Formats: sequence, structure tokens, C-alpha cells
Amino acid sequence: MSTTLAPAVVPAAGSTARRTGPSLPGLIGLEIRKSLSTRSGRSVAALAVLVGPLGVLLATMTSGGGVVAAMALGIMGMLIALVLLALGVLSTAGEWTHRSVQTTYLLVPQRGRVLAAKAVAMALLGLVLAALGVGAAVGALALFTSGVSWFAAGQAVVAVIASGAAFAVIGAGIGAAVGNSAAALTGTYLTLLGILPVLNSVEPEVAAKLDPASAIVTLAQHGAATTPIAVIAGWVVVSTVAGVLVTRRRAVA
Amino acid sequence: MITVSGLTKEYGGRTVVDRVSFELEPGTVTGFLGPNGAGKSTTMRMITGLVPASSGTATVAGRPYTSLPNPGAVMGTLLDAAAVHPGRTGRTHLRLLAATIGVPATRVDEVLELVDLTAAGGRRIGGYSLGMRQRLGIAAALLADPPVLMFDEPANGLDPEGIRWMRDLLRGHAARGGTVLLSSHLLGEVEHTVDRLLVIGSGRIVADGPIGELLAGDGTAVRAADPASFETALSQAGLEVHHRDGDVLVVPGAGPERIGALAAAGGHALIDLRPSEQGLEELFFQLTDAR
Repeated sequence: MSTTLAPAVVPAAGSTARRTGPSLPGLIGLEIRKSLSTRSGRSVAALAVLVGPLGVLLATMTSGGGVVAAMALGIMGMLIALVLLALGVLSTAGEWTHRSVQTTYLLVPQRGRVLAAKAVAMALLGLVLAALGVGAAVGALALFTSGVSWFAAGQAVVAVIASGAAFAVIGAGIGAAVGNSAAALTGTYLTLLGILPVLNSVEPEVAAKLDPASAIVTLAQHGAATTPIAVIAGWVVVSTVAGVLVTRRRAVA
Repeated sequence: MITVSGLTKEYGGRTVVDRVSFELEPGTVTGFLGPNGAGKSTTMRMITGLVPASSGTATVAGRPYTSLPNPGAVMGTLLDAAAVHPGRTGRTHLRLLAATIGVPATRVDEVLELVDLTAAGGRRIGGYSLGMRQRLGIAAALLADPPVLMFDEPANGLDPEGIRWMRDLLRGHAARGGTVLLSSHLLGEVEHTVDRLLVIGSGRIVADGPIGELLAGDGTAVRAADPASFETALSQAGLEVHHRDGDVLVVPGAGPERIGALAAAGGHALIDLRPSEQGLEELFFQLTDAR
């Protein structure tokens, strides 16, 4: 590319920069913009919305009807949550992978504040995207599936939306702790889709206290709420604390 | 504007930056030189808090960088031009930074114009050349028109015109009262850009002073119409004579006044007579090889 640089006299911005750093709501908005400003972020967000209705259509075509909405929404909710987990991982680990974290912490050096903003941003994005996804899944059930039992469908919808937000936050925490997108995603999915199901087959009572994905299905199906909520909350707390502790100590090379 | 005091970094018992201290004043461009692994980048990262220091302090405008209310408005920093998300466009990247610092979005177009990236602003950064990424990094550093600039190897990937432009930019910034810290491997470029040199070797500051003083020698460089005859005259006067660049005679320990007087007394015609200076490259290797 040929270079025709302007005369190197920097136009003064006239002290238009803020005297203080961005407010927490401002930082949250920025993190949401960041997540949706890349193709990967937008693709994951779109997948989170579409995986529910697509799953319902697939289930309808294969089963032919007679679906219990709460169970179907619980399974779709688990898929939505697993996709939103990736959005959370990309929001934190993605910055370490691409080293854009350097710019982030140069402009806002308070790492805990940045992580808090990321967690809230992911919770909000998770809420909205899970709501859209489960709404589309309910619409697909109503339009294309015959013989649907709608008992406890309302609780299932609430469980799916809350779980979507929680999983996005869990992803952000894991991504911050691991600091590498590929490693964080591979490790987390291997745990959730490999190790915990195996554990469930040999020690179901132990798995029920550890597996956040199956906790969503249990919650959505009007089952006992205490253990599933505690499991998901435990993952949120542990991953977030790990993310904060590791990020605060990690040098930005 | 930048004060560094006893800054030290140890990794597993190995000291990579050892009690580095310096103070940079407004209105100056300071070159930060040293071989690979000497500790330049680690020092710059410690100044910004990206890498925690083992001991020592660094302040920018009187405060630790991490305590500045809006650090991007005080110091524009370019440490690694590749540290950007390749999936964003250049303009989106700058708009996100502008929103973080709190400058109007119109400033993004101004700095894109300044670094000649207006046309490429809508393209993904992943498709940028190294030179374009450097210019994007410089644009990001200039967003708030901060009083302090700190650039680590900003000339990497820039073409000769870009390098000259950057030199004018940094000189202009200092002329307006700004403070600039610049690290570079391009010694010739540094020599023409900076007022002051900081040379670091094996983690320690080995030279710190105005570039003119550091490059000044203690003798005279002289060219005579008849070099052999004048060399004999100088030797007879008890002076040591070295040769440089063919017919230049370098006489350590004697000023131009004495050499001129000797030439006049002996009837030697001189073509050139000046205080001897060593090149920056020579000084660099002398200081850093010795460590």
C-alpha cells in the first residue's frame, strides 16, 4: 500500500477526553459491543438464538409429536447454555489469545473492574440471547409440533433464560482463568460432555451435585430446584473467583 | 512526566531489569536503546503496570500509571502493534478505544486520516500489513492527544516515508511540550529523532544523557590536503593519530584549536577540522558489548 501520511502535526483533541475512566455501566456497554463486534462473537450469538428452534424442529421431525414442552425446552436450554458458555469464554480468553487484553488493561488498569464489567455484560447478553432462543423454541413447538403438553412450560422458560445468563458468566470466568480460548473451550466441553456424563453413569448421585448442564434439564422439568440451582451457582462462583484471582496476577506480555 | 526509580524485575531468581532509574521531562524525545532481551520492553510494561515490578516505582504525571483516572488520556502507548483482534475493522477497533477513553467518535476519523488508514478503516485488521498495524497502533495512541507518548519499536514495518513521518510526529509532539519515550533498533533513526539517550544492557542503564554529549569524542577529526605529511607532523608533535574513513585523521586528546595551530605552523592545508564524534552504532556496541 502506498503511504500518503498527513503532515505530522497532531490535531489537538482540545481536552475532549474524559477526566475519569469509563463508568461501570459504560464499561459493561463496551464489553457488549466488543463481544458483538467480531464475526466469531456474532456467530455464537446467532447460534445461541437458533439452536433452540432448530433442535425443536429436528425433534419434531424424528418423534412425530406428543412432546412434553418442559422436557424439550430443558434440553434446548442446555444446548443454548452450552453455546453461551462459548460466548463468555471468547469475551475473556479471546482477548488473551489475540493479546488485545494489552489494550484493555492499558486503558482500564483495574483488572477486577474490567472482569466485573465482563461478567455483567455476559449475564445481560446471556439473558437476552437465551430469552430469544427459548422464545423461538416455544414458537417452533407451538407452530410445528402436534400434541404438545405445556405443563410447567413457564418454569422451563425461566430456567432456560437464567441458565443461559449463568453459563455465559461461567464461560467468562473460565476464559479469564485459562487465558486461552482453545484450551478453555476444549477443557470445559470435555468436562461437561465427556467426564461428567461418564461420572453420571457410574456415580449418578455425585454427578447430580457437579453437572451444571444436566442441572438445567432438571430445573426445567419442574424437578427439585435446590440442588440444580446450587450446582449452577457453584460453577458461577468458582469460575468467577478463579478468573479474578488468576487475571490479577498474570503479567500481560 | 515519567519518573522511574529503582525498577527491578526478577523471573525465577534471574534479574531481567536491575534497578533502572530515569526521569523524562516534557519537551524531550528520549531514545531507549538496548540489544534484544536487555529489558527495554519489560521496563515499558512495568511503567504501565502490565507486568508487576519486583521492586521500585514508576510514575506518569506524578502517579503510578494504574492510579491515573483515565490513563489513555495521559499517555499514548504502543507496545505491540499485533496485539489487536484481527476480526475487527480498524475503525471499529478505534471506536471502541475512543469510547473507553471518552473522546468523540469524530476523533477516530481524524487519526485514521493522520496515519493514512481512512480507506482501510473498514477492513478487518487481520488483512493489514505490519506497517498498517503499526500505524493503527500509533493512531490509537494519539486518540486523546495525550501529553506523553511511549512507543516500543514503532518503526517496525514502516516504509522510509512512514519512518520520516513518525520522526516528524515525535519531534512535533516534543516541540509542543510533550514527552516521548521511544525504543527502536533502527539506530540511525534514533540518532536523528531523539534529544536524549537511555542505553540499557543486561537489565541495567549503562548510559543516560543528551545524545550530543554521549556521541561527542575527546579529540579532533581532521582532513588535510596532504594527509601523510600532516600525520608525520602530528606524530612529531607527540600526538597519537588514528585513521577513519580513508583520509580522515582522528587525533584523541587534542582539540581543534591545537590541531589548527599545528597545521598553520607547518603550512599544511586543511580540508576539514572538527571535534571528533563517534557514531551511535559505535557507541551502542561499545556500551552494550562491554556488559
